[in-house]
Amino acid sequence: MNRTIGLISANYAIPGFDILTRERPPVSIPYAGRYRLLDFALSNMVNSRIQTVALITPHYYRSIMDHIGAGKEWDLDRKNGGLYILPGTAFGFRDPDSRFLFRDILHNLNYFRRGDGDYILVSSGTLTANIDYQPMIAEHELSGRNVTLLYRKTAPGEKRRGYYLTMSASGEVKNITLANEGENLFLNSFIVDRSLILRLARDFSTMGYLDFMAILTTVLPDLRVGTFRYDGHVFFMDGTEDYFRSSMALLDPALRHELFTRERQIRTKIHDTPPALYVPGSQVRNSLMTAGSVIEGTVTDSVVFRQVRIEKGASVKNCVLMEGCTVKAGARLENVICDKYVTITADKTILGTPDRPCVIPKDEVI
Amino acid sequence: MRKKECVAMLLAGGQGSRLGVLTEKIAKPAVSFGGKYRMIDFSLSNCVNSGIDTVGVLVQYKPTLLNRYLGTGAAWDLDAVWGGVHILPPYATQTGGEWYEGTADAIYHNIDFIDEYDPDYVLILSGDHLYQMDYNLMLDFHKLMGSDLTVAVKTVPWEEASRFGIMSVDEEMRITRFSEKPKNPDSNLASMGIYIFTWSVLRQALLADHEDKQSEHDYGKNIIPTLLGQKKNLFAYVFSGYWKDVGTIPSYYTTQMELLDAEPEFKLHDTRMHILSNLNELSAHFIGGEGHVEHSMVCNGCEIYGRVENSILSPGAVVEAGAMVKDSILLPDSVVGAGAVVERTILNERASIAPNACVGGSDKITVVGESSTMEV
Repeated sequence: MNRTIGLISANYAIPGFDILTRERPPVSIPYAGRYRLLDFALSNMVNSRIQTVALITPHYYRSIMDHIGAGKEWDLDRKNGGLYILPGTAFGFRDPDSRFLFRDILHNLNYFRRGDGDYILVSSGTLTANIDYQPMIAEHELSGRNVTLLYRKTAPGEKRRGYYLTMSASGEVKNITLANEGENLFLNSFIVDRSLILRLARDFSTMGYLDFMAILTTVLPDLRVGTFRYDGHVFFMDGTEDYFRSSMALLDPALRHELFTRERQIRTKIHDTPPALYVPGSQVRNSLMTAGSVIEGTVTDSVVFRQVRIEKGASVKNCVLMEGCTVKAGARLENVICDKYVTITADKTILGTPDRPCVIPKDEVI
Repeated sequence: MRKKECVAMLLAGGQGSRLGVLTEKIAKPAVSFGGKYRMIDFSLSNCVNSGIDTVGVLVQYKPTLLNRYLGTGAAWDLDAVWGGVHILPPYATQTGGEWYEGTADAIYHNIDFIDEYDPDYVLILSGDHLYQMDYNLMLDFHKLMGSDLTVAVKTVPWEEASRFGIMSVDEEMRITRFSEKPKNPDSNLASMGIYIFTWSVLRQALLADHEDKQSEHDYGKNIIPTLLGQKKNLFAYVFSGYWKDVGTIPSYYTTQMELLDAEPEFKLHDTRMHILSNLNELSAHFIGGEGHVEHSMVCNGCEIYGRVENSILSPGAVVEAGAMVKDSILLPDSVVGAGAVVERTILNERASIAPNACVGGSDKITVVGESSTMEV
């Protein structure tokens, strides 16, 4: 009997994404050739033997539903447990730091009341890493804590906005602060007792506008809140620059193998595309390529999704080309992110910089 | 809608001994093909694309991988509430158990299965052909001609006709004679091993054939000649599209290599082709900074740090730094070690070539067996 159920939050905006989230929520952003960001949080839960997962959707959830359907690819089309869709409220966009709007929990309290798990494993839908939660769940169960927060030690000089944790010598969380830098970065994932969620829902029933982390900060002195440290790589997704950096990080074999280990495979919606085809004369170096593409030109240091066509004499360097893009003959792209189904016409040159990649919106013909 | 107009029966029990080590551990329809496919995918996809949602798969020889691969049939949208994919192995009865003794005998033992769906027609298929076909057109022809048995045929060059089962026909395509590998063929219409029977006719023929102790219980050798003798309505349906039997190592190799042609006859990359498979779980493939890939097909999960030319890499295949793979087919999860040279070779699933080893390159095609390692 599995005593932990899952909850993934997708009802939040990340302003730093701008164009890439014009028509989709952040969790639906395509990544690594054939995935969407949500795949990682979903797969991590399933791979950690969680059989019941609820997803709080934003109100514009077409792309999410198109992608996950009944949860078949994640083995979540179950009679017992499986995937639950919890409609999020339409007020989740004011605070860019918020990931777990408390109102979304209040509006879906039946899931928490009826569920048979003692613990709820919560994750933001854009947490992109390959995490085995089983040790964290075991530790939470044994420790008798109310909450266990997942965090990561930051590197010296690292700057990233988020919640930072201060711990006592015994490892109890003493303080949670929202800041631009700090030592122990909260990874927007935690385990919480179901009974605590129900208690907070009663006590804070009129404060749905708050983020769960704000409420947790308020009640911190009355609770036992512990931590679990994650030492693996996190492919951060706090905006377009992060996305570009995290895409290029996939070209590092060690990091890529960590994210796509066969031990805990990341699952995604299946498209039956034929193998990638490389014609005579194609030149591809240091690039992540996906089935269904046809490559005639030159590709260097790039991530290329499904069904991409790169014609003869076209050159692509340091780019992310999403599904269905076409780069016509003689075109040259450098430091560019092309959203889905972009066409670059013949002999065009588009140059971004490594720090500020040029983003071409979906369906655009340049 | 309990009744099905047409039920497909896919013969997947044969050993496929002409594929040697490739079928040492798995049935022929389970052999990897064209990168991310297994041979059975083409017939199964044809069924789904033709709207046939009930497929019995007759298994016997080494069915484990095939069973797992088919699963619930979900990968082909064949996980239906009524219908879908059914794996049909030989079974025991109150009077004992029997193996399938031939292609007709396999269907005979599953008469009850077919009766459950009360079909008007039964489509008999093999799991080892590369082709795309709309079975509906053939079924329309069958109905139009008032046929009892329609055999799909392909026009082959006259000089090759003696290698096939040849159908002789009159001007309205009525089959007048069937000859297995005739020395002096009088027709060049070769049977593709695809049959549509009117079920009541086939059912009766199977019952009679079962009683015949001399029979080899084979469609070509027994059922078709018997029906011809009974003056039943047998017609040949000429299929003009691409069709290849890939039952031998040379044809298995050549047929795949032809997929790399600039204008391949079997257009895998045509977006109208919708070939479904169940090998879709790996992440995107990677070509390293010193890697080079040219004139090749590469599947997800591959890692290429060496040179790959004129080759097909199946899901999870790895080519290490400094290695050279040329004119070869790497089946799923096979590994070519650093500095190794592999030419005109088929590496079976999980086979590995030790660093700096040299394999193949002769006129004949080299085949390295499953999970085996080639040392220097």
